Amino acid sequence: MIRIYRALLLAQLQVAAQYRLSMFLYLLFSIMRPVIFLAAWSAVAIARGGSVGGFTPADFAAYYVILTVVGHLVAAWNQYDFEFQVRMGQISPRLVRPLHPIHYAIAENMIWKSFTIVGIVPVLAIIIVTYGVQFRFEPWQIALFVPSLVLAAALQFFMSWCIATTAFWTTRTHAVSTLFDRTAFIFAGQIAPLSLLPGVLQQIAYVLPFGYIYGVPTDILRGGHDLPTSIVLIAGQTIWVVVAFVASRIVWSYGVRAYTAVGA
Amino acid sequence: MRRYLRILALFARLEAQFELAYRTNFFFDVLQQIVITATSLGAVFILFSYTDTMNGWTLPAMIVLVGVFYIVQGVGDLVFMPSAQQLIEHVRLGTLDFVLLKPVDAQFFVSLRRIKFTAIAEIALGFGIVIVGFLRLGTLDVVAALLFVLTLACGLVLVYVLLLVLGTLAFWFVRVENLLVVYEAFTDAARFPIDIYPFWLRFAMSSVVPIGVAVTVPAQAVAGRLDLIGILVLFAATIAAAVFGRWFWKTGLRSYTGASA
Repeated sequence: MIRIYRALLLAQLQVAAQYRLSMFLYLLFSIMRPVIFLAAWSAVAIARGGSVGGFTPADFAAYYVILTVVGHLVAAWNQYDFEFQVRMGQISPRLVRPLHPIHYAIAENMIWKSFTIVGIVPVLAIIIVTYGVQFRFEPWQIALFVPSLVLAAALQFFMSWCIATTAFWTTRTHAVSTLFDRTAFIFAGQIAPLSLLPGVLQQIAYVLPFGYIYGVPTDILRGGHDLPTSIVLIAGQTIWVVVAFVASRIVWSYGVRAYTAVGA
Repeated sequence: MRRYLRILALFARLEAQFELAYRTNFFFDVLQQIVITATSLGAVFILFSYTDTMNGWTLPAMIVLVGVFYIVQGVGDLVFMPSAQQLIEHVRLGTLDFVLLKPVDAQFFVSLRRIKFTAIAEIALGFGIVIVGFLRLGTLDVVAALLFVLTLACGLVLVYVLLLVLGTLAFWFVRVENLLVVYEAFTDAARFPIDIYPFWLRFAMSSVVPIGVAVTVPAQAVAGRLDLIGILVLFAATIAAAVFGRWFWKTGLRSYTGASA
C-alpha cells in the first residue's frame, strides 16, 4: 500500500505542477469568504462598542485566519470531480482497475492541498497585520488541534465521497451539493463562530456534522473551549467520521451496481 | 437600433428554446437559487440579531443591498458571464471568424449572444428582496427610486465592461477562462457594503473589480445615503469605462489572427 501511495502521490504532484496558476486563482475563493465575514463581524463589534459575545475585532480576525487554514486543509471536492467523471464515462476504466477509485481521490486531495497552502499565507499575513491579531496557543490546544484537524478532514472527505457517489444514480449531483454547501454555510462556523449562532441554531449546529468540520477544530486551536469540552467535541468528531465512513461504503457498494456507464 | 433590438429578441428566442429542452434542470436551478438567497438573508439576520446598525447600515438598508447583490450577480449570470465564456471559446477555437463575418457589430454580438435564462430567477428574487427592504425602510420617494435605477444601470455597465475586458484579454493570452474566477471571487465579497472592508479590499472592489461599487451604490441611493459628488463620480466613471471597454475591444480585435486558418 505504501508503494502504491508513493506512486499515486508522485503522479499527482506532476499534475499539480502543470496547473500552478489556475490553482492559485481558485485560492481566491477560500480566502474571500472568511475575509467577508470577518469584516462584517468587526463592523458589528465596533457598532456594539468594541466586542460582541466576547469577540473583539482582533478575536474575530484570529478566528477567521485559523478558519481559513482549517477550511483549506479539510477541503474535499469529490462531488464536482466525480460527477464529471461519471458524466463523461471516465470512471469506467478506473472501476476495472484493481485499486479502489477512492485512493486516487485521496492522493489528489493530499497533494493539491499541501501544494496550494503556500498561496494563502501572504493573504493571511495581510489580515493579521490589518487587524492586529495576536495568537496565544496553549500546548494542549495545539496537541488536540492536530487530531481534531485530521478527523475534520476525514469527515469532510467521506461526506463529499457520499455525495459524489450519488452521481451513479443521478449523473448530476449539482443540486445535492448546493443544498449541502448552503447548510454548511449556515451551520459550519463560516458565517459566524458557532458560539455566536443564536439559540436553537447553535444546538442544531452541534448536532449536524458541518460544525465538526470547520468550527470545532478552529475553536479548539483558538482556545474557545476548555479542555474537557474540547475532548467531548473530538469524541463527537470521531462518531461522525465513523458514520460518514460506513455511509460512504454502503452508498458506494449500491451505487456501483446501479452504474450504467454513461458515454460508453 | 430597431434592427439590433430585433436581433436581440432573436437571440433570446433561440436561447429560450435551448433552455426549454432541459426543464427539470431549470426547475432545480431555480430551487437552488431560492435556497442560496434564503441562506444569504439568514446570515444577514444573524449578524443583525446582535446589532441595529453595521457601519451605519440598518437592517432594511442591508436587505436592499442583498437584493441589489442578487440583481447585479443575476444580470452577470444572465448575459455577461456566459457571453464572456463564449468569447474566450471563440478566440481559442478560431470560430470568432464567423462572428466577424456577420453584418452586425461584433462587440454587440459577442456581448449578448449567450443568455442563460435560469438567472432570471436570481434577478426576480433580487428585485423581490429590494422591494421588501424598500417597504421596511418606509421612505418611498420618487427621487430615491429614480436614483436607484440610474445607479443600478451604471453599476451593470461597469460589471459588463469588466467582463468584456477580461474576455478581450483572450486575444493576447488565449486561455483566460480562469481570470473569470477572479470576478466570481470578488463578487462574493459584494454581498456586504464595501465600506466595512479593509482599505486594500475596498480599493480593489471600487477600481479594478468595480463589482463592489455596482452593488453598494444603488443600495446607498435607496437608503438615502448618497451625496451628489458620489453620483457624479459614478456617472463619469461609467462613461469612461464604457469608452475604455470599446477601445480595448477594438485594440484586442486587431491582434486577432484566427486559429483555424
